[in-house]
Amino acid sequence: MEAKYDFEKKFREQVLQCSRCGFCQAVCPVYGATLRPAYNARGKMLLLKEVMDGKIELDDQLIETIFQCTTCASCAENCPSGVNVPEIIKLARKDMVRIGSCHPAFKGMREVLQNHTNIYAEDEPEDFGREKNRKASVVFFVGCVGLYREDESTEATLNLLDRLEVDYTLIDEVCCTGVLEDVGYQINEELARKNIDFIRATGAKTVITGCPYCSRTFNSKPQYAALKDTGIRVIHISQFLKDFDFAVKTLRKVTYHDPCDLGRHCGIYEEPRMTIRKFAPNFVELPHHHADALCCGAGGGVRGAYAKNSIAMARRRLQEVEEVGADVLLTECNSCVHNLANAKLRKQKFKVCTTTQFIIELLEEADSSG
Amino acid sequence: MELQGYNLPDHLYYEENHFWVKEEGDELVMGMDDFAQKMAGEIVYVQLPEEGKKLKVGKKFAKIESGKWLGKVFAPVNGELVGVNEELETNPALINEDCYGKGWMYKIKPEDKAEMNLLIHGVEAVEKWLLAEIEKYAKE
Repeated sequence: MEAKYDFEKKFREQVLQCSRCGFCQAVCPVYGATLRPAYNARGKMLLLKEVMDGKIELDDQLIETIFQCTTCASCAENCPSGVNVPEIIKLARKDMVRIGSCHPAFKGMREVLQNHTNIYAEDEPEDFGREKNRKASVVFFVGCVGLYREDESTEATLNLLDRLEVDYTLIDEVCCTGVLEDVGYQINEELARKNIDFIRATGAKTVITGCPYCSRTFNSKPQYAALKDTGIRVIHISQFLKDFDFAVKTLRKVTYHDPCDLGRHCGIYEEPRMTIRKFAPNFVELPHHHADALCCGAGGGVRGAYAKNSIAMARRRLQEVEEVGADVLLTECNSCVHNLANAKLRKQKFKVCTTTQFIIELLEEADSSG
Repeated sequence: MELQGYNLPDHLYYEENHFWVKEEGDELVMGMDDFAQKMAGEIVYVQLPEEGKKLKVGKKFAKIESGKWLGKVFAPVNGELVGVNEELETNPALINEDCYGKGWMYKIKPEDKAEMNLLIHGVEAVEKWLLAEIEKYAKE
């Protein structure tokens, strides 16, 4: 039978390779929060095989299962059969969108980005009181979550860059739009061009991003190839900070949550830890860490479309923080901070913040104690 | 009153960002009004600060989110936060289900209860304000 959908043309063999072993179920954050087999990778592959065999249609009835995935890649990481479920899901989503079947939240997100500069359709980003668009060696690219949801985290990062006397500038950035590729659409080329033009106009040769998703997008999507082509390097803030010693210490028990977009997707595990270990001798790992880290539940558009389940996933991750008895949970992704902080219960007294926020707090404590 | 599908009880006092306030003994109870909860959609997160937090009238003291919107909660009067609705921690959608009852949000010990008189209150004032708000949001 002729392949009808792109996901089948590209990934038919992988879908058939799924041996139904269920290793993915053990690590899937959506399954962990919902206990629904259809939402986990094995369930998705079973359903897509039914689609390939012409037994069911790829239509609205599959929205819940195909669009409810954080694309955390825990399944792919643990699959003994080599099935790259997130990539299959992303392409299946594009197939669904093409035939007019899409979760309304993601359709709405695409429309928002056609008319606004950010995923929240807000017109006034936080004003951090720093100059924008000036000539500088470095552009600091904040990202939508940092601009519109986690301004305290961004302010802390900017304070740290100021203390380090980094020659940086902000720009009139717009959404990198990388998320659209994950939810059935494509990068918004007009917005991508704006970002590239703003970055190039500064003369900067380095872009530091506050968001690992933005740095992934800039480094891997062809719409942003112009950056690399003109010798502009894009790194995440955790990669930049690893070489600094801030000469502060805390005896509090600190732990670290590996963001999926930094860890499993980019292989950046040690740089954040190098920074943390310098100031936190009582650093402990969470039970699931590095490539086994549990997803916070925010990714793949899930926080926008399935907020309750997204927060439920975050609560499972926070239970691990309680298990290790940490006082502080650090992470390097504003989206993770946002979801984890929202999910944290009042009885959970540990702190959730980015590494830079915590470093600034320690520096300010040191300053005030003279 | 009920106006164009929005229910705003007459006996309540309203802060201009669509939070209602009522007296309960020496304290005030605060929540989100029907207009705001309908505009916001399903509430997914309500920030519940620690009791004892000092509140300054007109200043943001908490955040509230729906899937598509982040809202700020502004103090309607000067005072101190003395209670929060802990049910909202695991069931924030109570605000959508019953914004004037089970979905109450905060309890405040006011410095001066008379500050409530600066809020929007009374059928005429509420109607005028609500009509203007409906028109404002219809344009956006």
